[in-house]
Amino acid sequence: MNTIRNYLDNMFLGIPQTDDVIRAKMELLAMMEDKYSELKNAGKTENEAIGIVISEFGNLDELADTLGIKEVIENKTDISMVSYDEAMQYIENSKSTAPKTALGVLLCILSPVTLLLLLGLSELNLITVKEESLIAVSLAVLICLVAAGVSHFIRFSSKLERFEYLQENVFELDYKTEQAVRNILEQDEQSYKSAVNISVIGYILCALPVIIIPLMLEIEGLSVISIAVTLIIVAFATYNLINKSAVHEACNVLLQQGDYSIKSKSNKISKTISKVYWLVIVAIYLGYSFITNNWTMSWIIWPIAGVLFAAIKAITDGLS
Amino acid sequence: MISSDVIRGYNDTMILYLLLSEPSYGYEISKRIRELTDEKYVIKETTLYSAFKRMESNGYIEAFLGSETYGKQRTYYKITETGKKYYKEKCKEWKITKEVIEKFIVKENDHEYNQKLS
Repeated sequence: MNTIRNYLDNMFLGIPQTDDVIRAKMELLAMMEDKYSELKNAGKTENEAIGIVISEFGNLDELADTLGIKEVIENKTDISMVSYDEAMQYIENSKSTAPKTALGVLLCILSPVTLLLLLGLSELNLITVKEESLIAVSLAVLICLVAAGVSHFIRFSSKLERFEYLQENVFELDYKTEQAVRNILEQDEQSYKSAVNISVIGYILCALPVIIIPLMLEIEGLSVISIAVTLIIVAFATYNLINKSAVHEACNVLLQQGDYSIKSKSNKISKTISKVYWLVIVAIYLGYSFITNNWTMSWIIWPIAGVLFAAIKAITDGLS
Repeated sequence: MISSDVIRGYNDTMILYLLLSEPSYGYEISKRIRELTDEKYVIKETTLYSAFKRMESNGYIEAFLGSETYGKQRTYYKITETGKKYYKEKCKEWKITKEVIEKFIVKENDHEYNQKLS
């Protein structure tokens, strides 16, 4: 049933929702649903029934005059069709670049780990090197890792650059393509869900080292090392999530659902807010950390910012 | 399947004929057209709906909301007096059209023409 509704929504995409149009849509939907139920009762499979209903729907051009939407329909070619090949190419590219993007993120998250580990070890007096040279070495490592990570992003994100319009613009898929994408999404569901599970467990467990180690052993230096452990867990959880959610995300982009729904695409305000929001958070994080030098605490801004962002998004979505 | 170009001018006639017996709604009409023609003609939903709207604005039919069944409230259509008049005219027109076209269709027993065709 949803497929029929989606099909009709797609047909009426970009057409002003006048009273006439809304009435037409409702009545057409009623006819299609009646036909669908009867075909199902006659023993057709769901796919056969949907296929017949859609093939007998006809053409919106016929309604152009009666609904006074002639001009809109003539200009409707502005809404691009995404071909089957293009859609499959996008999923393929998303899948193949995912491990590389994930690696880039992994390197960036891991970048301060050497610094933290070496500081911890030296506080424990396990290594006896002057602190200045220690910091110099680990900062060098940090910068190298970030550089490697960022260069990874740039190199592989260019593969997906061509497809950016899928995330930005409203488009249409033909029925066959849409079905194919839905199948892929369904097949990927299991692996996506277990990946999310594993990563969420990782994100929860990552708090343990910071809480438990300093509680059990009151040795200075250990707390710094425990942060390093936390970061390592976060890094791998994130790597796993990015890597395994690529197909799921790509399918959502193609089906224009979730974050990529037609509604949120047209919601320019929430897009602007999210851009500004994250820049401000980065500025606060860097500013606070450099001024107070309290790097061991300042990272807390990230989980807080994440939750706050969800709240802001819910509000802006609700308002629009 | 019949080409829709030919039949377009007579979609209204078919719908009005069905509405003569009793008021009806979209799917039922399309189903009865399919059944009456032994599935030789299947009317598209968009064709049917645009015919409804056109005839409604011409005053041939009137829309009204039916009682709710299974949580669905359907739009029913009934034929008006103007509609009946229009239907009669269309029937007359078709008879003439049929006679005219018929003159140009080769008869089965017309051996001379059938030979030229084969």
